[in-house]
Amino acid sequence: MTGLRAVRPRPVRLTRRRGGVPVALLLAPALTVVVVFFLGGISYAVAQSLGYQPFIGRHELGLAAYRDLAGDPAVRASFILTLRVALLGTAIAAVLGTSLALLVHRLGRGRRWAITMAQANLAVPHLVGALAIGLLLSQTGLIARLAHAAGFVGAPRDFPGLISDQYGIGIVAEYVWKETPFLTLLALNALGRGTAQLGDAARVLGARPWQRLRHVTIPAVLPPLAAGSVLVFAFAVGSYEVPYLLGRPYPATLPVVAYQYHTDVDLTYRAEAMAIAVLITALSVTALLAFLGLLGRIARRPA
Amino acid sequence: MNHRRCIPALVAVAALGLTACGADPATGARVGSISTAQGWDAVVSAAEGQTVNWYMWGGDPTLNDFVNGYLADRLEPFDITINQVKVSDTAQAIDTMLGERQAGRSTDGSVDLVWVNGENFATGKQADLWACDWAQHLPNAALFDFGDPAVAMDFGVPVDGCEAVWQQANSALVYDSEALDESDVASVTSLIDWAEAHPGRFTYPAPPDFTGSMAVRTLLYDTIGGPDDLTGEFDESAYRDAVPALWDRLNDLEPALWRGGETYPQSQDQVEKMYADGEIDAYFTYGPGAVGDKVAVGVFPDSTREAVLAGGNIANNSFVGIPGNAAHPEAAMVLANLLQDPQTQLALYKAEGTYPGIDLARTDRATRDEFADVPRSPSVLPLERLLADAQPELAGAYVTRIEHDWKSEVLQR
Repeated sequence: MTGLRAVRPRPVRLTRRRGGVPVALLLAPALTVVVVFFLGGISYAVAQSLGYQPFIGRHELGLAAYRDLAGDPAVRASFILTLRVALLGTAIAAVLGTSLALLVHRLGRGRRWAITMAQANLAVPHLVGALAIGLLLSQTGLIARLAHAAGFVGAPRDFPGLISDQYGIGIVAEYVWKETPFLTLLALNALGRGTAQLGDAARVLGARPWQRLRHVTIPAVLPPLAAGSVLVFAFAVGSYEVPYLLGRPYPATLPVVAYQYHTDVDLTYRAEAMAIAVLITALSVTALLAFLGLLGRIARRPA
Repeated sequence: MNHRRCIPALVAVAALGLTACGADPATGARVGSISTAQGWDAVVSAAEGQTVNWYMWGGDPTLNDFVNGYLADRLEPFDITINQVKVSDTAQAIDTMLGERQAGRSTDGSVDLVWVNGENFATGKQADLWACDWAQHLPNAALFDFGDPAVAMDFGVPVDGCEAVWQQANSALVYDSEALDESDVASVTSLIDWAEAHPGRFTYPAPPDFTGSMAVRTLLYDTIGGPDDLTGEFDESAYRDAVPALWDRLNDLEPALWRGGETYPQSQDQVEKMYADGEIDAYFTYGPGAVGDKVAVGVFPDSTREAVLAGGNIANNSFVGIPGNAAHPEAAMVLANLLQDPQTQLALYKAEGTYPGIDLARTDRATRDEFADVPRSPSVLPLERLLADAQPELAGAYVTRIEHDWKSEVLQR
């Protein structure tokens, strides 16, 4: 769409001056924080994953920790589980979020109310969400008790195990519950920005409803939705408390396995813990690069 | 009281200890600004005005009240303040200490005292994080027999005065007497038979959970006829002889466990919550004394009872340790000494049934009578029963190895 091209930001040059002060200098405080704490932390994690552990007298570097991980069935199972819950959680939240946004967008008076509900959800920490989902879905949870009272199930163990289950259903449920409103708000925001006028224009020019959805609504919603989805995915890959509370010891997600290694009484296992942390970072960065690639494709796509 | 008279003698012993260690600064009895040679009074006066940052497991509200109520009051005359730092896992305290070590913070550390278990103590020793050679110089050290392996060793690691005994942890089986008969809890075999007849009503937290690891060792002791084959330092061939039968037994038990054994609870907290919710009928605990409180407040059913299975119950002492970089080691020592005080031990026993870490035989008659007079919940076993068949812990290397192998042999099967 041409409309999209118009809102694409122009590249910023760091060397451009404003009032004689280089922009790079103005950015220095923020950049220092990023470089020292972010890159510094990551470099230290990489160094430790390679076996640099001066606190127990290990200085030699090597890939032993990574080889250990490759041979550990817990890590292989964990990698698959982590990808599955993160992808499923993100995909379901994105679809539900978009649908909700389209619905809410058409609401008249109820719209304000629906937006407030979605915003209220943003303030609830994941930890609280995970505990709430646990109280709701566990075999002695609210739903199981209601099902028991209604005579659908006999003993608690007859209720399907949705928490601490093999597939991470409880974990996905928490991500969907928490992230759907977030993506709804992002999509709603995108729908609000002149999409209505573009849609009207398209209709005047004879576009059918599905054509308007295909050529007006989706192109407007997709970039912010994709950006939000990358955030959700990166969070889901790196989250600890949700899979710890709603998951099981094996298979567990990567952050839980990393913490199991990190708290091992044998300090040499810290190398493996850091190696998993590096792996998690790599997964998140891959998702980000994929997003940037996708965004580039969308922006270049002819109308 | 007996131990009061011992103080001058102890100070003299401390002075000797320092002369012996003085040549070697690595093992010197120097804690913080003063050396133990200056005597206990010097420790007490240096501690004045200090705040002890005490890192401890914070999951027990009764214990937290005890720390911030009783102990805080007892420290007031010393002008010492307690800052209880609650952690969900002692490994977090070790992590903080290790982080400071990595950052080069060798003095003025943020941790002054840690309630530590054997495994984390071993971790700290591996990285040389503890201040050592102080615990035997506390005035209340007279209440211990340092020749007793339970005092001199912590999960097979020599204590070396790097930590002071606080509590005694005796394991027991907690069960609902409406679901299990006394004959069901007579032995490990009868418990397993009951579990197989009632699938889904028993489980244990996945090791390396501290209690889950004990549950596995309880079955190990039963399988190989007690810990005798595995005493002392880790021995690979003894270990390899002992465990195959254990793994077979645990895997055979799996279908009878909660969720058919396809998964295990993540923590002891979760297991106790499941018992409170009526999801399971029995579980192992290291804290049988605290069960009475849970029944009294209505969290656990009135029919809750405890048992020691045939072959005995695993028991250990838990300790408090002082990091080498502690900012307030003197106040930490005063608190460690206070924790061993017979009146403190009595108050803690009354508050939540925590068994005394001190050797009651070394206290005076009046103190022993006071312990005997504490009313006991019908749900809780008497101390004599818990002590009668107490079994020692294995060396830490065995414990760690069992925890690792449990994952591949049982959990991942």
